[in-house]
Amino acid sequence: MQVGTASGCENPTSYYFNQRGIWLTYVLVIFLAHLFILSMPFFTTAIAWTLTNVLHDIAMFVILHVTRGTPYMLDDAGTARKETQWEQLDQGKQFTPTKKFLTIVPIVLFFLASFYTKYDKVHFVINASFCALSVIAKIPWFHGKRFFEINKW
Amino acid sequence: MNGLIHKTNGVHKNGKSHKTMYTEETDWRKDYWESFEETPLLAAVFTYICYGLVVLIGHIRDFLNDLGLLKVNACLEPRIPGFVPLFSTWESFYTRHVFRRVSDVLSIPVCGVPAARVEIMKRVTHNYGWSYELHKDERSTMLNFGSYNYLGFSQNKGPCYDAAKSVTHKYGITPCASRQEMGLLDIHAELDSLVAEFLGVEAAFTVPMGFATNSMNMPCLVSKGCLILSDELNHASLVLGSRLTGATIKTFKHNNMQSLEKRLKDAVINGQPRTHRPWKKILIVVEGVYSMEGSIICLPEIIRLKKKYKAYVYLDEAHSVGAMGPHGRGVVDYFGLDPKDIDVMMGTFTKSFGAAGGYIGGTKKLINHLKLTSHCSVYSPTMPPPVVQQVLSSMKIILGKDGTNDGQRRIKQLAWNCRYFRRNLHERGYIIYGNKDSPVVPLLLFMPTKLAAFSRECRKRDLATVVVGFPATPITKTRARFCLSAAHTKEDIDEALKIIEEVGDLIRLRYSRLPVPDFNENDIELIR
Repeated sequence: MQVGTASGCENPTSYYFNQRGIWLTYVLVIFLAHLFILSMPFFTTAIAWTLTNVLHDIAMFVILHVTRGTPYMLDDAGTARKETQWEQLDQGKQFTPTKKFLTIVPIVLFFLASFYTKYDKVHFVINASFCALSVIAKIPWFHGKRFFEINKW
Repeated sequence: MNGLIHKTNGVHKNGKSHKTMYTEETDWRKDYWESFEETPLLAAVFTYICYGLVVLIGHIRDFLNDLGLLKVNACLEPRIPGFVPLFSTWESFYTRHVFRRVSDVLSIPVCGVPAARVEIMKRVTHNYGWSYELHKDERSTMLNFGSYNYLGFSQNKGPCYDAAKSVTHKYGITPCASRQEMGLLDIHAELDSLVAEFLGVEAAFTVPMGFATNSMNMPCLVSKGCLILSDELNHASLVLGSRLTGATIKTFKHNNMQSLEKRLKDAVINGQPRTHRPWKKILIVVEGVYSMEGSIICLPEIIRLKKKYKAYVYLDEAHSVGAMGPHGRGVVDYFGLDPKDIDVMMGTFTKSFGAAGGYIGGTKKLINHLKLTSHCSVYSPTMPPPVVQQVLSSMKIILGKDGTNDGQRRIKQLAWNCRYFRRNLHERGYIIYGNKDSPVVPLLLFMPTKLAAFSRECRKRDLATVVVGFPATPITKTRARFCLSAAHTKEDIDEALKIIEEVGDLIRLRYSRLPVPDFNENDIELIR
């Protein structure tokens, strides 16, 4: 990547999620966002948890699976331009620690949300569908697949 | 046996008694100290949150720009319907919203020669870093800790200057021809032999550009079917040179001899990837002093590994020639090793000699081969005569050939400055990277905002420093880099330490949790 006169070699997207302290930061940000939602007086605990889960899943889906390319110029002749952020992580290798961590977080949030909503049916449907969206997008078979020509070029 | 002298108490080389030969290998470790303290977790978390916030604000600004409420001062892709986009606006996001906002601390224009003090012109931006206005009358002289001026030869007065001036009158500005045509003047031949004498090798070969010394000469040495083992933090010129050779490149962890030995073992045992034929050559490419980390390479260990696995060593002494060692001959001199053990000694004249260009030193056969096959011998003109004279004068001063002890004074002053500066910064609790003797001192800042704040606050107090951030360094390890010089006196360094302490207290930089090290500058004697 090249900015001004400084340049580094590979795509920073592939390794920045492996660095020291970033997993902690991610969990901390989710926690702080949840506290913020919980502090709103008109949300019950159940709604607050479902909101956290759903907003987290939507945000991570847009960040990881819809955003393509990189916010910086690279020297790789455009190979990263068509790939989503998830596909660029660890340069496309599957089952790395980062990818496992990022798959587990929505599942854990789903468990917590189910617990705090006392397994109510409506909340369950909403939470489960968003969790499924999040987890299915991360399955290795979907690497590089595009559906209905969305995000294809 | 031929060439070896037999003594009654064993066989050993000329000039070395049996006592020094066997204890030599373990002696250097006692004096080798470096520290690379791990990033504190809190600083790392705050750094990510910092970047996250900046990115979020960037997105909001882009969104407001799309709505038409805010003007983002960048060339955004027009997105004409029915046409394929010409370029991607998203790819310039980082430049627009992160880089531009701190661009006033990067590429600062200087007026005049960058000696111990440098004159900086005031620069004002009215649109957040997109364009700058120079206020020509507002100049301030500040302490210069950002220039590569290790021995203080960046001067516009003195014997080097006078000699270069007279040579310009005699030879002109450039020979306008390459080495293989008519460009080789008598001063070039004198420079080649002086460089060879300085390094302690058989012959040397000089190139007008330091970067090109690496990138254009490495393809002459190795080719397809060879293996290059390069340190992960090697400079871009070495990376480009390695790629141009067509050889297989494998990296080993920075300055980590176990990683290098593992790679060497694998290379020798397994050979080339599919055919398992032995590699034609294995070249270990390392630098003497790494300017981004301030670390000094474990050269004795590399030579031991090289001899064990029969590889070749390419040593890039860009930052260490002139700056290290009791006689200023580089990292080989620092460890007290034999220059003939290193197969290719490369270096530049930019940092310690106040000139430009690079050299390669080695055996006569190697240099003859390079003179014939190098890109630089054919396509590039030879070094300009004033630059050659600058190198000649400064090298003669370092060698002591001009009759004074100015060379030794500069070398000792630099070594003393390094120890004094580093010891003081360690005592004050800042995280400093590198070896205790390296003249490059990176001070870790961690957050991108501290990068901007440190530079601006230091400049307000008349200290000019260089700050480096992502992508030249890892994302959590943004740093301010101080380059010490023999031109700095103790008073200059004390002033700088006072300013750094003020700024460090203001923006909270004392992250270090390790105990204070016990090295100091008292074992170096200054020459007055």
